[in-house]
Amino acid sequence: MESMVTGSRSPSLPVRWACSLGAKVRLAFAQLGSLSWLLAQGAKGLLRLRPEQVRVVREVTRMQIRFTALDALPLCLLTAILLGGVTLLQVFGQLSAFGMERDLSQIMAQLVIRELGPLMVGILVLTRSGTAIAAEMASRKLSGELDALYVCGVDPIRYLLLPRLLGGVISVFSLVILFDTVALLGGFLVAWLRMPLSLTFYLDALGEAIGRRDLIATFTKCLVFGTAIPLICTSCGLRVKRSTTEIPQAVTKASVMSLLVLLLSGALLSVLIYA
Amino acid sequence: MPEPLLALEAVTLTAPEGRPVFHDLDWRLDRGGRFHVRAGSGGGCTALLRLCAGIAEPDRGRVVLDGVPLSPDLHHPFLARGALGWVPSDGGLTVNLTLLDNVALPLRFVLGQGRAAAERTALELLEQAGLGPQARQRPAVPGDRVSWLVSLVRAAAKGSRLWLVDRPAGGLDAASIRAAGDLLDRAAQDPEATLLLVGGDWMSRFGEELQVGNGRVSAGRES
Repeated sequence: MESMVTGSRSPSLPVRWACSLGAKVRLAFAQLGSLSWLLAQGAKGLLRLRPEQVRVVREVTRMQIRFTALDALPLCLLTAILLGGVTLLQVFGQLSAFGMERDLSQIMAQLVIRELGPLMVGILVLTRSGTAIAAEMASRKLSGELDALYVCGVDPIRYLLLPRLLGGVISVFSLVILFDTVALLGGFLVAWLRMPLSLTFYLDALGEAIGRRDLIATFTKCLVFGTAIPLICTSCGLRVKRSTTEIPQAVTKASVMSLLVLLLSGALLSVLIYA
Repeated sequence: MPEPLLALEAVTLTAPEGRPVFHDLDWRLDRGGRFHVRAGSGGGCTALLRLCAGIAEPDRGRVVLDGVPLSPDLHHPFLARGALGWVPSDGGLTVNLTLLDNVALPLRFVLGQGRAAAERTALELLEQAGLGPQARQRPAVPGDRVSWLVSLVRAAAKGSRLWLVDRPAGGLDAASIRAAGDLLDRAAQDPEATLLLVGGDWMSRFGEELQVGNGRVSAGRES
């Protein structure tokens, strides 16, 4: 009994396994807590912005949108047109077998607007901007820049986090709209090459296929993805402690965690909205 | 006895590698006090500055600034109003902003000045420090020596009440020492400004000498 209290005997394998499981659960909750805290600080910072700070935050947000949305535009449009075309080819093949070519618009609209658009844009924003945010935050922390800003009175939450959150949401929202448009029009182009299909018919059918729920699903996903990516990447970047070797680790962790959140939250929202 | 601007109360601090830096240290910095710590003593000068700025958190004890304890959970009101002039060895500038923007940022974000007014003030001070031609460069171009000087300009621009200045990384040339001396001279003329400087002999004229070492902070030079 005494040995159990003093810990002189090492615990058995099942106990060690249970402990390691517990540690992982604790770590997951700690990370969730840290993200919630950061998000709450961001929201508080947004509400407490003074007019002169709004101007500075607007400038930084504009830069963030330029980097996240504008610079990503060629890649995003290319992905949309290719994905729209390839998806349509596959779907068209299946529908032709059953003589259901006229349902093409409806299936394309559901696929692209409900699922593919937000998810692909989320992945593009994560790989281009999310990783950059994680690396930037980590190197700013290691170089003492964050400390210097904080001590000089410039709140890093308001100056750095807030523009990234706002920029993330605006960028994801804009890119999803463009992505969906181009993917659906790209799909039409491919379909038009394969079968006699009029643009008016295609657009009319699209208009009928897109319902209010689809728009709610897309916009909710834009909001969730646009917030989650910068938030997770900032949080992972800020967790570095001393060495520059921690920067790539932080970037990898930010990518994996953000991707998991994109996939899980995307699936969860779809289930909630369409189930 | 008047309330000190800064007080370290029973502070214990251990370096990341486990070496004790301060043990149970009590020290106070009165308002308007001017102190100079000779650089190179290696006894925790930078750690003392970091403690005073709230960047380093003590293992035990607390640091009270302007009557309010420094805490990682609170953006201290003294810091939030930009009253602390923090000049670390490498300048601590934001690398994606120009030198001009680095000086103008706290003027806009903290003191609420318009962009044009803040940039005018920043440029004027940078020119006085001989940094006018480099004002549109980013910190990586001119290097740490200039970044340190710009950080000093930033502290001056926002009218800091407490100056915590660490030694510049890589040393200074004669022109930079003259420019830094002018900025510190102006700060020293303000009766409300409190200075804690770590640096070479040229800084000794700005304040009483302090010794930092063996976990203690004491006045005067050790024999």
